[in-house]
Amino acid sequence: MRSRGYGAMIVATLLLTSCAHPTQKYAASKAEGVYFTVPNAWHEIPMVALNSQEAKSTAVGAAEKLALVTWQEAYSPDSKIGPKETFSLAPMNSPLAFVRVRDLFPDEINAVSYNTLRDIVQPVTDWVNNPTAKTPIYNIIDDHEVIQQGGRGVRTIYNFIESGVSQTVDQTALMAGDHAKIYVFVVRCTTTCYNKNIKEISRIANSFTVRGTK
Amino acid sequence: MSSSEPQGSRQRDSDRKTRVHLSIYDRTKFILLFVFVYLVLVWASLAGNPLLSISDAFNEITRTRTWLLLLVVIEILRQMHFLVSEIVVPYHGIWQKYFQSVDFALHRLSDWTRYRLSRIIKTIIFIALLSVVLGAIYKETPVRALFLAPSALWRTLPMLGQLLFGVFFVVIQFAAMFWFLSRGGVDTYFPDDIRTRFTDVWGQDHVLNRIRENLLFLERPEEIERHGGYVPGGILLWGPPGTGKTLMAESMAGETGKPFVFVDPGAFTNMFFGVGVLKVKSLFRKLRKLALRYGGVVVFFDEADSLGNRGMAPSGGQQRADGANIPAIFGTSCHGGAYLAPSTASLLLRESFVVGGAAGGGMGGGGGMGTLQALLTELSGLKKPRGFLNRVLRRTLGMRPKNPPKYRILVVMATNMPEALDEALLRPGRIDRMYRVGYPSKAGRVRTYEGYLAKVSHSLSADEIDKLATITPYATGATIKDTINEALITAIRNGRTSITWPDVIKAKQLKELGPPEDVEYIERERHAVAVHEACHAVMAHRVRQHMAIDLATIEKGSDYLGMVASIPPDDQFTRWRTEYESDILVSLASLAGERMFFNGDNSSGVSGDLESATTIASLMEGHWGMGSTISSHASNRRFEIGSPGGAKAGSSKEPRDALGNRIEDQLSVLLKQAEKILKENRSHVLALAHALETYKTLSGEDVSAVIEGVQGSIVDGRPYRNKAFLAKIERYHKAALVAHREHQSPEVSIPVVKQVQ
Repeated sequence: MRSRGYGAMIVATLLLTSCAHPTQKYAASKAEGVYFTVPNAWHEIPMVALNSQEAKSTAVGAAEKLALVTWQEAYSPDSKIGPKETFSLAPMNSPLAFVRVRDLFPDEINAVSYNTLRDIVQPVTDWVNNPTAKTPIYNIIDDHEVIQQGGRGVRTIYNFIESGVSQTVDQTALMAGDHAKIYVFVVRCTTTCYNKNIKEISRIANSFTVRGTK
Repeated sequence: MSSSEPQGSRQRDSDRKTRVHLSIYDRTKFILLFVFVYLVLVWASLAGNPLLSISDAFNEITRTRTWLLLLVVIEILRQMHFLVSEIVVPYHGIWQKYFQSVDFALHRLSDWTRYRLSRIIKTIIFIALLSVVLGAIYKETPVRALFLAPSALWRTLPMLGQLLFGVFFVVIQFAAMFWFLSRGGVDTYFPDDIRTRFTDVWGQDHVLNRIRENLLFLERPEEIERHGGYVPGGILLWGPPGTGKTLMAESMAGETGKPFVFVDPGAFTNMFFGVGVLKVKSLFRKLRKLALRYGGVVVFFDEADSLGNRGMAPSGGQQRADGANIPAIFGTSCHGGAYLAPSTASLLLRESFVVGGAAGGGMGGGGGMGTLQALLTELSGLKKPRGFLNRVLRRTLGMRPKNPPKYRILVVMATNMPEALDEALLRPGRIDRMYRVGYPSKAGRVRTYEGYLAKVSHSLSADEIDKLATITPYATGATIKDTINEALITAIRNGRTSITWPDVIKAKQLKELGPPEDVEYIERERHAVAVHEACHAVMAHRVRQHMAIDLATIEKGSDYLGMVASIPPDDQFTRWRTEYESDILVSLASLAGERMFFNGDNSSGVSGDLESATTIASLMEGHWGMGSTISSHASNRRFEIGSPGGAKAGSSKEPRDALGNRIEDQLSVLLKQAEKILKENRSHVLALAHALETYKTLSGEDVSAVIEGVQGSIVDGRPYRNKAFLAKIERYHKAALVAHREHQSPEVSIPVVKQVQ
């Protein structure tokens, strides 16, 4: 009786140790209270690498913006995709998930609207409201409000054609309850790639959770 | 294992070949603990990430907390080791041998070394654990975290300060409360405050001389210490109340010019446990300070019996019974027993109560709760080096701490219940010297009377003051003051401002007897009581030379109808057969007199007298060798021999009577003698009875005056020499006798004295 008990315990321990691999990657910033998951096979583009890439930017105010970034990470199944690709809008045949948490400038705090959040990657609202000759061909697939514990904002899924290649962006942008920071989560790749991985990409985009700082 | 071992008894551990079987709880408790920790960690992980699935949480913990698994594995190995030890004999044997050798190696070190080693190991483990914990907190390596800790501590100092303040605030409330409670009850008088000197203490010269010796030691302690002696630490003044013990202590401080610390008797009665101890400690701290500053200090514990004792009443040993400290009236005898000599009365008292003399005491109440013990320790405890510099700094530098200075503290205690003091308090080294402050000497009384009379207007001559001192042998300063005051009140009530001799005598009687109950006897009973007391008084006057009559009265008191009180004219310490016989005669005079004057009738009022007479006669016969046999009844009883009886060897005389018979015989002889004496003094008895009926209370001097027929202090005895007047008195007695028989009022009224011009 006693030895059987022992046996059960040992077996349980071995079972626990033998399958000690998580089913997916849990990307999280506990400090910011932001979580999402990506498949295990995806590789991480760490914050340090992204920061150093962004630091190379010569755009006006880029350095100041970077100083306010508290967390950014990117994940992709394609090992060729790195920091440089993350910050470009060049079409990619593999999905890329990118998260960014940034404190807002004081004047931004008053200016940020849902439209600002929609325009975080591409000027989508401009495309809709003021179409010009330069406006690319686009299609807004979904646009709805997202309310989470840590803030509220919009999730917009759209595709656009640039340089003859159609890309799809699934972006979620939230502003913190105290309007002090924004949370951006973008999953994108070419529309072909998106349609192929739509299930996986949706799962990743749906997993984006903002609890906010405590 | 021996076969003689009783069945069912548990095997000795040393006899076992295998390990004792563990219970299931002991086998699994650590594993369960680790599982619990594991589950807690999983739970914490789940709580930390809302997206985490349970299986992933398990996976993560399993992956990241390998130490927990390691512990589980170690525990399993340990349990397997135990299991094998429980089953396989050789395996267990190997380990036992190994442990024995380890023990042996360890015990080669001394216990102290092992203790130090274990202390070092424990400290190292503690520091290691602390650094691991700190490392986890700071997310640094443990070693680095250890170095970061002091700065963290420094940062938290303000908060620590706040916490400490909180603790301090709570503690200070108690400390303040106890501090306030431990104040009070102690008064310090500085040399200038005290005007009393030895010359203000009257009639206690012998005690004062002794105290002077002690003060000499307080002032010049080197004299005795140079020769290897030590200064006496304390004096106990004991004796009846009002004899000037407090005054003496005060004069002591006045004479030395040292501060005088007066400890209130109630100072050590406290509500809270421990306050008494604090009080004693703060008192002695104060005393040491004063002693250093003024070169000495006198501390006086008034009513030291309030300190109590620890239970044991000191029985036996030094008999501190105070023969003179006996109430003037005692027992239930209707006529009192005050006509007896004090020592006789003391004996009777001791016989009548199981606990003799002044023994008794029992559980002391007062101080209690360690107060007395604290006092005992302060009086002669360990003299530890005092002061931080002295104890720590000097020792750190390798210097020997200085011994505390010799504090010159003279402890004086006063009590009228020395038997209630703790024995340990009175041992040499604490209260070395015990002085009995008795009643003042006659010279002292004269001096005291003079002192108090000097403050009022009076017309007393030096002879009268001397006489007053003689007839008040047990007067103390307090009673003398009271008597003079009472006399003054009497005088003022009578419209005078100057005290006269009769005022003093009246005051004395009032003080000794208390106010009369103002009960008017019916005439025949008054006469009977007067005759009864007159018989005692005349007998005492005729046969008893060692005692003088103090007063005779027929005024009813609380527990007597009338009384004759006597006092010893001088201090005498031995007692003689003739004196005891005269005591018995005085006792029996009431019975003999009543029978004689009332035609063989007698009242129950003689019961107390007979009891006294019988007791004394028994002691004379059985204890003091004053009867017909020699052997002591006390010894006979102790050895269970029985009292002497039977005929003397070689004698043809009748056998000796039993003790009781011999006592009865002796009393019969004395009763006959008393009858004879009273018969001879019939007219004196009736004269004195008449005087008592007329004046109710007579002083000793007046009693003598009536018997001798001379002028007394208040009563003129000369009319009693007049035969015609005596005949009138006799007629009145006859009429009273008829009235007594017929229960009527006497036909003849009491004759009135004609004042002799």
